[in-house]
Amino acid sequence: MNTKNTEKDLQNAQILNLDEDFSLIKRFIDGDESVFAVLVQRHKEKVRNIIYLTMSSSNMVDDVAQDVFLTVYRNLNNFRFESQFTTWLYRITVNKCKDHMRKIKIRNIFTPINDAENKADETANPEGSDISGIVQRAIARLPEKLRVPLLLKDIEGMSYQEISETIECEIGTVKSRIFRAREGLKNILKPFEEELMS
Amino acid sequence: MKKLNSKYEKLSAYVDNELSAGEARELEDEIKFSKELQDKLNELKRIKQLTVSSVKRLPEAPYFETKLAANLNNKGRTYDRFRKWIPAIGFTALAAVLMIFLKFNPGVLNELVEKQKSNIAGFYQENLKPLFFASDLSNEDIFNFAFSKQLPLDKTNGQYLKLGYEPNGKEFFEIKTSGAPQPPDNLNKFIATLKLNNAQKRQVDSILASYAEDLRSQILVNDKNTIAINPNLWNYNKAIAADLISFARNANEEEFNKIVPAGYFKYDKPEVETIVRQVKNIKDNNYIFFTPDTIFTESYQPDWKELRKEMDQAREQMKKDMQNAKKNLKEMRINFNFDSSFSKLKSDTSWNKNFEVFIDSNLCRVHISNINIPDVPMPDMDAITMEVEEAMKSIPPLMIEIPGGRNGKGYSFKYEFRDSTSNSVKIRIPDVDSIMKSMGIFGKDSLLYNGKWKIFNPDSLASLHKLLDDSTMFFNKGEFQKEMKQLQKELERMREEMKRLRIEIHRDSLQKHEDHDSVEI
Repeated sequence: MNTKNTEKDLQNAQILNLDEDFSLIKRFIDGDESVFAVLVQRHKEKVRNIIYLTMSSSNMVDDVAQDVFLTVYRNLNNFRFESQFTTWLYRITVNKCKDHMRKIKIRNIFTPINDAENKADETANPEGSDISGIVQRAIARLPEKLRVPLLLKDIEGMSYQEISETIECEIGTVKSRIFRAREGLKNILKPFEEELMS
Repeated sequence: MKKLNSKYEKLSAYVDNELSAGEARELEDEIKFSKELQDKLNELKRIKQLTVSSVKRLPEAPYFETKLAANLNNKGRTYDRFRKWIPAIGFTALAAVLMIFLKFNPGVLNELVEKQKSNIAGFYQENLKPLFFASDLSNEDIFNFAFSKQLPLDKTNGQYLKLGYEPNGKEFFEIKTSGAPQPPDNLNKFIATLKLNNAQKRQVDSILASYAEDLRSQILVNDKNTIAINPNLWNYNKAIAADLISFARNANEEEFNKIVPAGYFKYDKPEVETIVRQVKNIKDNNYIFFTPDTIFTESYQPDWKELRKEMDQAREQMKKDMQNAKKNLKEMRINFNFDSSFSKLKSDTSWNKNFEVFIDSNLCRVHISNINIPDVPMPDMDAITMEVEEAMKSIPPLMIEIPGGRNGKGYSFKYEFRDSTSNSVKIRIPDVDSIMKSMGIFGKDSLLYNGKWKIFNPDSLASLHKLLDDSTMFFNKGEFQKEMKQLQKELERMREEMKRLRIEIHRDSLQKHEDHDSVEI
């Protein structure tokens, strides 16, 4: 009974959120640009975390997040209220992450080998050598298409439905990719079995 | 294996609480009886937990909104900065596109230029009519054209067209708003000099008249102050001169040789006839269009049928109603006016390739650098025409002979052209001499030479000369009488002048005490 109540509260909170987002957007479209700050306040941390998880690095998070909200600001007048604001926002976020990663890859092609190696090392060893570090490095080694749905689910707590809308693929694909991500993670972490057990 | 993976995917979804209640129950039942599924479930749960526990959330970014606000403003400013370059970028892009387009379609620009040129040509070709269509192109005009290379554009305003040659042999034409008019009566001087009889004179008239029609098609004008000149005009100039010279030599070689030294003109009659035929047969429709905006060459075919029809109608009307016909003819006439509007040609260089233009307040000279004159082997007429021109200058335009007489009945005043066959006029004038004598001014001496013919150059009697222009050659009884009356009035005035002159001369004579045998006025 208690659990059921909690789920109901969550659903109500979501509906409330949805309504609040929509009403803020309507006010923005009507010319009240000050509400944009409220939207940013409400969603910036989630956006920053998705970026952090997707890119496996905290270096560019704020830059990409700024870019995301600038894009939202420029396009908010065209929002059609057909899906949740967050779905639209996270899709923009994931796409911006992909753009930035593509740019980094291209930039690395033209970067001297030594610099590129240093940067790769920084990315490969983002958070030290403890268990969480080992796991984070393992996650970072997953391919992007597996890593993103896994983190959106496990860290951001999104439903498969939300993930499928965010990364624009089928729910079945999300389910499969998350499983494959976990399988991949298990294989990567096998050499660290002892550390993880202790 | 595939089936197993599908089961594990379901387990993974079960861990994520993403199965429906029914699916979850079904799977739970299976898990109860499968050690393998139980192990896999535990594994998946453990990995999920590792993931959740290992990934730390980012610390909050306290200045995120401030930074974003700044970025938003910057982006706006960037957009503004960019916006002001939009036109320049637009033009640059357009220019680049045009350059690329023209690189692959080089003919388009030429087509456009040609189209524009044909538009301009079309505009200036509208309503073109022969310059001499309605105006009087007299035999005298054609004669002057042959030997002085001048054609009247507007007789009233003294504008004329002159053809010429540069030292390098290239042709030019010039339009003068004013200048020294042709000495009058050159044709008659020519006839008089060669002592041609009436029949020969008619032949000269016939030769000249035969070119009138052709010359009409050589110069066209319209109400847009355009003058279109056919380059064959230069050939006509030589052909007419050659034709006249050839005729003159055959008509009276002795007199002809006095003007043009023997051997100057080597062409015989058949050769000249061939040249004339060739010039007349040239059907060159390329005209030089001289307009207030530009100069260009363009092919043009006047509708001669229509123009002749207009002329015929005008003639018919003239027969019926002279007054209205004259009015209509006047309306048909289009004068070319070389005015200040042509000054813009100075700044135009588009035709530099073909023409060189020199303009001042009353003259425009156009050097034709690259325009081909239809090629006909022509004699070098310049030396000959210069000889003829000089000969014309040395002939007094009019000879007046005054017989002396002291019979108390006055003097007989006679004037005639040197052509002895032409008509002469005798006019009774008062016995000025006897009047002067009675006044005791000259004593026994006479103003006019006693008993002998005295030749006067009437140029010194400007007023008299004015009255005796070539119109008196055609004796119209009524008009002639009228003119004679005017002449009498003029002579009255002359007498008054004489009187004043006598007094002055008398004063001089008193001082010098010299006798005068004759007085030339």
